[in-house]
Amino acid sequence: MDDGPEWGHATEFGDIAGQVAIVGIGETAYTRASGRSAREIGAEAAERAITDCGLAPGDIDGLTYSAAFADFDVAAFHDHFGTSHEMWSSPWGGGMSWAGTAPYLAAKAIERGDARHVLNVFPVAWASQRGGMTGGPGEVHASQSLKQNLEVPFGWFPQPVYFATIMRRHMIEFGTKPEHFGAVAVAARWNANRNPDAVMHGKKMDLDDYAAAPMLAEPLRLFDSCLISDGGAAYVTASLDRARDLPHPPVVVQGVGEGISGSGQHWSQQRPFTSTPQVFSAPLAFTMAGLTPRDVDVLAVYDPFTVVTIMQIEDMGFCRKGEGGPFVEEVSLWWNGEGLPCNTHGGLLSHAYVLGIAHVVELVKQLRETASAQVYDCEVGVYGGYTGMHASTLVLTVDR
Amino acid sequence: MAITRADFPLPDVSDDLVAGYFFGAAAGEVRIPRCSACDRWCWYPEAACPGCGGELVWTATTGRATLFSWAVVWRAFLPAFADIVPFVTALVALEEEPSIRLVTMIIDVSSESLVADMPVEAVFRPLRFPTVPDREVIVPMFRPIEAVS
Ligand SMILES: [Zn+2]
Repeated sequence: MDDGPEWGHATEFGDIAGQVAIVGIGETAYTRASGRSAREIGAEAAERAITDCGLAPGDIDGLTYSAAFADFDVAAFHDHFGTSHEMWSSPWGGGMSWAGTAPYLAAKAIERGDARHVLNVFPVAWASQRGGMTGGPGEVHASQSLKQNLEVPFGWFPQPVYFATIMRRHMIEFGTKPEHFGAVAVAARWNANRNPDAVMHGKKMDLDDYAAAPMLAEPLRLFDSCLISDGGAAYVTASLDRARDLPHPPVVVQGVGEGISGSGQHWSQQRPFTSTPQVFSAPLAFTMAGLTPRDVDVLAVYDPFTVVTIMQIEDMGFCRKGEGGPFVEEVSLWWNGEGLPCNTHGGLLSHAYVLGIAHVVELVKQLRETASAQVYDCEVGVYGGYTGMHASTLVLTVDR
Repeated sequence: MAITRADFPLPDVSDDLVAGYFFGAAAGEVRIPRCSACDRWCWYPEAACPGCGGELVWTATTGRATLFSWAVVWRAFLPAFADIVPFVTALVALEEEPSIRLVTMIIDVSSESLVADMPVEAVFRPLRFPTVPDREVIVPMFRPIEAVS
């Protein structure tokens, strides 16, 4: 089978290294079902991010949010803050892969003079919505007719089942073992245990607990799978010059990349079944930043399932393809493991399922040295975003 | 975007894009769209050949494939599957064009005896769900070729 480079491509991004910085972050509580709407959650995250950078709502003149989950758009912003000023906006921000590329959109808007302070916001209320099939990850997929007709009838649905087959194929091709997946889950929990904001903060888990948990879709166990949560976060991007006038030390955007798979929304047909479009995204982001995976002090990868952490670690170049299993076992992902600290907030697996926005916020905290699970001497942080079809890479550094 | 179709999760055989797959199954064949101009197999179905724009024609295959990957589903994620867990859902790579993976169920065999890349063949069985009474759709399922005596 031809797994050649034509199975996907990278988006062409201009070099924005050092142009902009993240200057403010805001988070809501991360919970199981809260009864709150995504719009309320988004407003709270936005308010906290704006306060964090010492600005007022009227200073925010750019907004990026999610096209797919447009719960907090310009109208919602004005409605919440009682403002009415002109705002540049783009629906190609928010969470998932786009949590990593929103700073690029902000940099370009700032470069054109369309905005000075750009807010990226992403709220999730899936824990509250899951009851009535009125939202949530499953429905999005079931609503596509090809999936409905050619996948769902055969029980290949929802995401835990897709990723169970991806795990199985990773095991077949590379010899990856259950304890490798377990190492990812245990590391995420260890990190979450250090973070009072994590949903799984007080719940310890070791490899025995992992192995004793029920199979959802063999070989995928309960703790290979992410949580379902309510919560949201936001961050504000400004030019580096502007950032240096604001209260917090700037967290500088040094590299951005985006990779897109040619198989569209259909995981089942993706040429290399055990790879992510991170293959296309990460090299460009590292090149833009003038850095390599070896330079990374803290990593945050979109981790809906343990196999996705392993695949992204491989595809971003932290190890060779297929060696991600032994890598995560031998090179600790623990915040204090002196290996490759990864998802130090707990990730989607053990922090909250807020689709990557909290991953980027965690990196900002790490680079400000204000994280709960603070990595020693942390200067370079990288986010790996993922949706299946898309991947993104965001390289952040301290201001130097 | 809520799904209101009463026969979900049965496939919608009135959907023109996929109807040929289920008509094929009812006739005892795995049929896949193939371009009448450039002979390329196209999966998933599209309106026209993604290579040359030619007309796609539902074309019979051997129904043989290899077992690309599978999962033993223990949790009924949809109520319709509650009575059949555990079952084996799988991706099989088509003999004619292994880059084409069909989503299917593996039947007539214990999940412990499944081996990566083993040869499998289509069998055509009615898909029924207790949540959709009095309806069935004949679909291609697969079983290991060795299991046939
Ligand atoms: Zn053609």
